Amino acid sequence: MESPISKLKKGMKGKIARFTDEMMAGKLMCMGVLPGSLVKVIRKAPFHGGFYLKIDGYNMVLREQEAANIVLTMEGKK
Amino acid sequence: MTIALVGNPNSGKSSLFNQLTGLRQKTGNFPGVTVEKKSGKLKLPGGKTVKIIDLPGAYSLYPTSQDERIVLNVLTNPKDENYPDAIVYVADITNLEKHLLLLTQIRDLGIPCLLALNMSDIAEKQNMKVNEQKLAGFLKMPVISVSGRTGSKVAVLKEKMGELLGSPSVHKKPFYPFNEVEKKTGGRIQAALKIENPYRAKLIAHHYNKLPFLSENEKKEIANICEAEKFQNLRLQISETMQRFETFVPALRSAIQQKGSGPVFTDRIDAVLTHKTFAPLIFFVIMFFVFQAIYAWATYPMELIDGGFAMLGEWVRQTLPAGWFTDLLTDGVLAGLGGILIFIPQIAILFLLIGILEEVGYMSRAVYIFDKLMQQFGLNGRSVVALVSGGACAIPAIMSTRTIGNWKERLITIMVTPLISCSARIPVYAILIGLVVPDGTVMGIFNLQGLAFMGLYLLGIVAALLSAFVFKKILKSDEKSFLMMKMPTYRWPVWRNVWQNIYQKVMAFVVEAGRVIMVISVVLWVLASYGPATAMEEAERSALATAKAQSLNEAETADLMAARKIEASFAGHLGKAMEPAIKPLGFDWKIGIALLTSFAAREVFVGTMATIYSIGSTDEETSVRDKLAAARNPETGAKVYSAATAMSLLIFYVFAMQCMSTVAVVRRETGSWKWPAIQFFYMGLLAYLGSLLTYQLMS
Repeated sequence: MESPISKLKKGMKGKIARFTDEMMAGKLMCMGVLPGSLVKVIRKAPFHGGFYLKIDGYNMVLREQEAANIVLTMEGKK
Repeated sequence: MTIALVGNPNSGKSSLFNQLTGLRQKTGNFPGVTVEKKSGKLKLPGGKTVKIIDLPGAYSLYPTSQDERIVLNVLTNPKDENYPDAIVYVADITNLEKHLLLLTQIRDLGIPCLLALNMSDIAEKQNMKVNEQKLAGFLKMPVISVSGRTGSKVAVLKEKMGELLGSPSVHKKPFYPFNEVEKKTGGRIQAALKIENPYRAKLIAHHYNKLPFLSENEKKEIANICEAEKFQNLRLQISETMQRFETFVPALRSAIQQKGSGPVFTDRIDAVLTHKTFAPLIFFVIMFFVFQAIYAWATYPMELIDGGFAMLGEWVRQTLPAGWFTDLLTDGVLAGLGGILIFIPQIAILFLLIGILEEVGYMSRAVYIFDKLMQQFGLNGRSVVALVSGGACAIPAIMSTRTIGNWKERLITIMVTPLISCSARIPVYAILIGLVVPDGTVMGIFNLQGLAFMGLYLLGIVAALLSAFVFKKILKSDEKSFLMMKMPTYRWPVWRNVWQNIYQKVMAFVVEAGRVIMVISVVLWVLASYGPATAMEEAERSALATAKAQSLNEAETADLMAARKIEASFAGHLGKAMEPAIKPLGFDWKIGIALLTSFAAREVFVGTMATIYSIGSTDEETSVRDKLAAARNPETGAKVYSAATAMSLLIFYVFAMQCMSTVAVVRRETGSWKWPAIQFFYMGLLAYLGSLLTYQLMS
């Protein structure tokens, strides 16, 4: 099953399948967020804010519209 | 010879820079932008002294922020004054996999480079080991573990830096082999601009539009080449990045002998500190303590400085012969100097506390917590720190906005921060609230005057947020705003960094803002102590006559003289000239003078009022209040300080930009007079309209 990170709930995880925006992809990849990286949603920010993620063991925060550009493949339920 | 420190944000570059240069460093700006440039001197073991530049943190040579753009501009232009002869690449040893992209790019640029694996002390604690030799063999450059925090192996690093400068640069096989399009485009650009390094040509193909060192003709030529060769900018950037990671990640993994345990401790703390519900609460509790500390700790040194300058002024007055020069020295120069130095305790304490929070890693969390909320108003998560600090003093608050990466968001933060009621407004609020708000309680517990105080603070906060919203709509920016940020692991602060930051902030204020403040205070002094000669003499004569008629004692006579003189001075004339403009607000010329002199600093209002009402020798707030309460209009006999006037004046002080120090700091931080001027006028307009509305509705 595939889903952009922005649609995920706390605790869900998966592997990055692709990016939907090239410019965003360029920036994320420079920071070491690559296709194949493992992502887990740790929590969401107050005031309906961004996402606190664990990516390959590092902690990283993204805005919702930034997270919307990262598509994960997730195991299990279809 | 110049050596640059390059590395990702959070690589501990600044700690290492401080270790290398100590106090022999200076800060400035990169040309044309307000990104801070730190440079210093280092004496190498061989005796040679080299210049060290701390380039801003960057993830790659494909910039998405102003900081990263500077790194690209410097490293692709050998004619740049900051172009390094060698580079020390600083990487966080515990996060190596994500830190090496930029290093491989720099190596392909052919600049001599060594890799400093920073934070070796933390790696040790995490039981992590890296095979330096293996890594050095793969990267084909010296690799050395250091710690910018403890200073471990910094001496070895210095030695290696010396060797690096002495070694001839050899051509190495690039990490990233070009594809056909890149080869052809790069080759043509190399030929056109006479560039030796192929990777530099490729970067120019990617970024030529925004590179400041290319001429218009060159840009056109490159544009033609790129179009002819069908150079796909973004595609090629992504494939290059992918390939670089694919090359170095496997090699790196084989060089890491023991994998660390990871930031478990940080995760536990963040479960609380970034908790969806508790996080904002915790933030405000922390800020409350910061605020309290500023009040509690700054009061005493501020009184010392204040008292010290009063004594010094008195001493000068006693020692030197009376005359205009002594007056200028005491009431102009010394008063101005005192007015500058008085802010140092607040600036130092704020940056001590903010610096600790920054060093520990909490500030990144604050950004994450408030990002969404602040975004609605065109601000940044980091703006919340400036806005809260503005409650103590706008000056350090504005200086703290340097950490906001996006220029538009930083500018808006600077523009609205002075609307937050700072500590200098307190004496003015106290006097005027005491005049009009009865000292009673409502509903048994709420003190009325306290409520009025809170109302004024809230008014300032609301005005700041709404103004920010308006600026967000007006200001245009093509710079994209990102949150996208790694959360650093929590660490014990490095005190050396904290002290150095305080020192630099204080010096920046004293030296750069101080000059402006000095000039303005001398001008204000001239305005308040000189006037048309006949008017001044007349004032003196009439004061003496009145004193004689009422048989006043010496102090009372001096007070009366001061009152009459300021009325006859240029400031008095200005106040009277202003009267028609401020009459609709309910102000008379005396308040007009006070408004003028308050520009030196808001709390001067109290002193000026004391002088005008000839009680200069008693500086007590209560006696000023009694005097004001008793003041009546000589023609109508009505009270000057009716509730309407006092409220109107309060509103004026909430909104108006009456602080030359802030003006000076805004000029420094924005690099031009344009923004402080806009700020002065929009806040003045708010103040005028707010007061007008208040007075007209209440009277």
